[in-house]
Amino acid sequence: MRSARAVAAFDLLTPATAEEALSALRSAAPGALAVLAGGTDLLFDLDDGRLASRTVLSLRRLPWRTLAWDGAALTIGSTLPLRTLENDPGVRTRLPGLYAAVRAVGSVALRHRATLGGNLGRSAPASDLIPILLALDAEVELVGPEGARTVLVDRFVQGSRKTALRPDELIRAVRIPEARPSAYLLQRVRPFHDISHMAVAVAYSPRRESWRVALAGFPPRPILVPEAGELLRGPRPSSAEVVRAAETAAQLAPIVADKRASEEYRRALVKPLLERAVRACASSGGAT
Amino acid sequence: MTSPVLRLTVNGRPTALDSVPVAERLLDTVRWRLGLKGTKEGCRTGGCGACTLLVDGRPTLSCLTLTHEVEGSGITTVEGVSEDPVGARVQAAFEAVGAVQCGYCTPGFVMTLTGLLKERGSAEAFEELLNDLAGNLCRCTGYASIVRAVAAVREKSP
Ligand SMILES: Cc1cc2nc3c(=O)[nH]c(=O)nc-3n(C[C@H](O)[C@H](O)[C@H](O)COP(=O)(O)OP(=O)(O)OC[C@H]3O[C@@H](n4cnc5c(N)ncnc54)[C@H](O)[C@@H]3O)c2cc1C
Ligand code: FES
Ligand code: FES
Repeated sequence: MRSARAVAAFDLLTPATAEEALSALRSAAPGALAVLAGGTDLLFDLDDGRLASRTVLSLRRLPWRTLAWDGAALTIGSTLPLRTLENDPGVRTRLPGLYAAVRAVGSVALRHRATLGGNLGRSAPASDLIPILLALDAEVELVGPEGARTVLVDRFVQGSRKTALRPDELIRAVRIPEARPSAYLLQRVRPFHDISHMAVAVAYSPRRESWRVALAGFPPRPILVPEAGELLRGPRPSSAEVVRAAETAAQLAPIVADKRASEEYRRALVKPLLERAVRACASSGGAT
Repeated sequence: MTSPVLRLTVNGRPTALDSVPVAERLLDTVRWRLGLKGTKEGCRTGGCGACTLLVDGRPTLSCLTLTHEVEGSGITTVEGVSEDPVGARVQAAFEAVGAVQCGYCTPGFVMTLTGLLKERGSAEAFEELLNDLAGNLCRCTGYASIVRAVAAVREKSP
């Protein structure tokens, strides 16, 4: 077959149940099996030789393409295409920050295949979904041989391609405990279909009466900045509070340079992005 | 590393394929196995949209899709898009306003826009529709006429 790039050859397993998928994982030698959801990250890892796996475990037949609201809580199946998540009217109105973050991922045609489970599995420093999941206190539901366990996204994500996932586990779902006024803003060369140099996610929890501020775009991983969140009080913080929170985040966050942007440029972006995000969030106030 | 028979419906026709390697991309199946060269290979890394076709009506990057992963699905390529009334309108609009220079990006734009209009109807705001086309690049940079084609399709939408 003609093609411009080398394509790695492999075998494909397509289990129909979680039990079958888990038993395939359990019986494989370490690193022998690669898990495939949308493939928009994994196929590069295979073709470029970053993964030596010669068997691919496809999740496509598992019944995990789900989206369920339970009151104010939302559970998103790990293999639900991002475009389907974006098309849910509740996500758009009740979780505006998540909606904006999903729309920031690649293009429509990419989002018809790419999944939330895959975004967490890859755990990229410039992920557009991890920062908003941090601001929403989202949890990852994992299934393994001993059953299910739940881990906060903040604990799950450890660095680029580094997560708390054990080799015999799969990501089943992501749970967002409550709909929150939220916002996601970023700086890129092009507003769509590009990689973020700097991104800010904020959310206000009506239940905890507190703010969460997350930053992303720089290595090693998206982070929460609790010192900034603590300076904001109530659903509509004062201008002085917003400015102080933004200055604090710009100063304290462990921002570094990489090939895409300098540390100085990134720190300079934090303040305007964070101020705008908090204001957008406060004005969407009663959206939940 | 191959499987005996793989079934797809391609432009409305049931198609059975033999011995497709599991690593094969839908782009290669369509272009080299089925000989449908309307679907273009640009970057092969998800960055340009030239390879976009419809899988069960949804715009999909065929360069990042394993053919086996869409087994049993309906594939629409630019060769079959005029059989769909929305697709026919999109094609006619690109032609009418001359939104085609070298034409390499055109199938990708036509398929993405067709999929978007079928998914969202004419309810989608114009700005939003343009943002949703951001994954399609035109290396001839003929964007102004492409935007005019999008506007023309929307005007003619029922
Ligand atoms: C052109 C292009 C543009 C992109 N733009 C963006 C962008 O703007 N923002 C952004 O955040 N990302 C972007 N990405 C990256 C990518 O599309 C996302 O990370 C996507 O969400 C990955 O999902 P997937 O289903 O395709 O993952 P896959 O490639 O299938 O998997 C990714 C990793 O996660 C593992 N995995 C997947 N699902 C599970 C599961 N259920 N359990 C355990 N492990 C699992 C896989 O083994 C693999 O290691 C882009 C990619 C491309 C090619
Ligand atoms: S060839 Fe598929 S996106 Fe460029
Ligand atoms: S018309 Fe030549 S690439 Fe768009």
